[in-house]
Amino acid sequence: MAQGTDVMVLDDEPIVGERLRPALEKEGHTVEVFTDSEQAIDRLKQKRFGVLVTDMKMRGPSGMDVLRFVREQAPGTQVIVITGYATIETSHEANAWGAYRFVAKPFKLKELVKLVEQAAKLASA
Amino acid sequence: MGSATSRRADKNPTRGAHEPGDPNLAERLRKAEAALVGRPRLSMRLRLVVSLALCFILSCAFSLGAFSLLRTAKAKLLLLQTLERLDDRMLRVRALADEGTLAAADVDKVVESLGQAEPLLRSDGDALEANDRDAAPALLVQLGTCRRLLSALRRGAGGGVAGLPTEQAAELRRAEAEGGRLLEAVIRHERVSLDTTVRLAEAGPLVLLGLQLLLFAGIVVAFAKALVEPIRRFGEYTARIAAGDYSFIAPARGYRDEFSDLALAVNTMLGELQAQQDRLVKGAKLAAVGTLTSGIAHELNNPLNNVAITAETLMEELRTLSDDEKWRLLQDIYFENERASEIVRSLLDFTRQEKSEAGAVDLAEVIGSTLRLAQNEMNLNNVSFSCELPPDLPRVRGTANQLRQVLLNVLLNAIQAMPRGGRVWVSAGTPEAGRVCVEVRDEGEGIPPEVLPRIFDPFFTTKEPGRGTGLGLSVSLAIVRTFGGDLQVTSEAGKGTTVHACLPRAEER
Ligand SMILES: Nc1ncnc2c1ncn2[C@@H]1O[C@H](COP(=O)(O)OP(=O)(O)O)[C@@H](O)[C@H]1O
Ligand SMILES: [Mg+2]
Repeated sequence: MAQGTDVMVLDDEPIVGERLRPALEKEGHTVEVFTDSEQAIDRLKQKRFGVLVTDMKMRGPSGMDVLRFVREQAPGTQVIVITGYATIETSHEANAWGAYRFVAKPFKLKELVKLVEQAAKLASA
Repeated sequence: MGSATSRRADKNPTRGAHEPGDPNLAERLRKAEAALVGRPRLSMRLRLVVSLALCFILSCAFSLGAFSLLRTAKAKLLLLQTLERLDDRMLRVRALADEGTLAAADVDKVVESLGQAEPLLRSDGDALEANDRDAAPALLVQLGTCRRLLSALRRGAGGGVAGLPTEQAAELRRAEAEGGRLLEAVIRHERVSLDTTVRLAEAGPLVLLGLQLLLFAGIVVAFAKALVEPIRRFGEYTARIAAGDYSFIAPARGYRDEFSDLALAVNTMLGELQAQQDRLVKGAKLAAVGTLTSGIAHELNNPLNNVAITAETLMEELRTLSDDEKWRLLQDIYFENERASEIVRSLLDFTRQEKSEAGAVDLAEVIGSTLRLAQNEMNLNNVSFSCELPPDLPRVRGTANQLRQVLLNVLLNAIQAMPRGGRVWVSAGTPEAGRVCVEVRDEGEGIPPEVLPRIFDPFFTTKEPGRGTGLGLSVSLAIVRTFGGDLQVTSEAGKGTTVHACLPRAEER
């Protein structure tokens, strides 16, 4: 089993964090959950995460803003973007900014956990 | 000042094949037609023909009257001439007889005149006055006596009255005297009567002229009223229709004429206009819903995702979770499902067809449900709103869904005017009695003064294709106008835009 990675989950829907946390922790990751993107960015400034799972549309800075911040400040962090409404433009933009994956809601917990695993490998490599 | 106000009449640019549409509308059109047709017909043409016939008959009557007057005058003139000549000759004969120089030729003349006068007096022609006609037999008797005796005298050949036996001479004198008296009376009467007749013949045309003048004036006034009044009314109708009120023309008089045919045609047109507008409103509603799609998809996918991942957790960890934890997860599923249903319900509420008959609508409810519908679109665009409604907002005339559509269009415009987010203020009040106004204010990019006059034009949009249809405001104005209300937009470029939607209060029953 791969060693755990620091994972940040950011979504203004609290239930997403609540369900993802135990599922990821079960795989040995350390998980921090945020529902406010501003606080999340503050935390990203303090700590390096292996993987960031972020929602796209949120009050305040959007997932895209967070992605840009990570690309500039923490290039090693792999970012998985989830969104409630996927358009071709947003997925292109996310890819252009180097997101690892673009996931549309509703997603399967198992699949997301698997994606985080793969991203974590990439991050630690 | 970059602020200006725009009020524009709505135009209907689309034209389409007739389709069944609102059955309610067809029924209302049929009723309006029945009301118009269900009156006795009194056509303009009939009235014109009757009036002209009346004029003609009057002229004929006067012409005939004048003709008969002339004839009477002519007959009287002849009578008078004859009688006067007779009188003259009789006087002369009497004078000559008194002198004893009576010649046979004089007697012949009197006899001749007698011969001319007698048939005139005897014929019960209209030449004689009524009282003269009564006197005529007596006169004729005397004249007859004169004639008989004078003829006898003539046969006796000369020598004056002396040529007659004494009692016959006396009889002749008596008859002459009596006849002369009666004759002069008749002549006097007939003079007066002729005078009257002539004066009547003089006055007749003047009276006719006066009467015809009166009649013509009457006809002209009646027709002017019959023409001008409906034309004025139709002017009002067109103004009303231009203002967006498509209600059918109702009967304004107790009878129908050619203008009623026009009213029928206009009603048919109004029915078509209403159907057109209904189609346009429906199309614009779908467009507004289309604008909401991303928001709604997002808003729906969030609870759906929550349900999905919670159910997945439950399935995976069924054995390891405590009952308390399971309970919490099930609760999450339950409430997230509620959340999704609520979104679907509000969307269905909005798109549902409703009766187009206006009723009393609770504005606070309309504002609340529309804000909920647009809530996610606002979240997505970092737009927050504040809503201030007085507690006792009166009900307004309209239908809830169409008013929601108006408000949604205005809200979407406000959201789209603030691409970097901002705030929308929604408030309502009764600035004037009988009217309730909703105000929606944003702090967006505003509308430049040169654009402001065009924003109510159908299909006018400053937005890129796919984002704007240009139907929002034109349709909203049309909707508000059908309920007797108005829409006003004031804006200052760079500062923001304020929209006032005012509606008449619903009549309380
Ligand atoms: N709140 C607003 N702020 C700025 N511009 C507005 C606002 N509301 C309307 N407009 C202008 O009026 C135009 C017509 O609006 P509308 O009829 O709703 O059509 P659409 O929104 O599809 O463009 C818009 O394209 C925009 O230029
Ligand atoms: Mg619009």
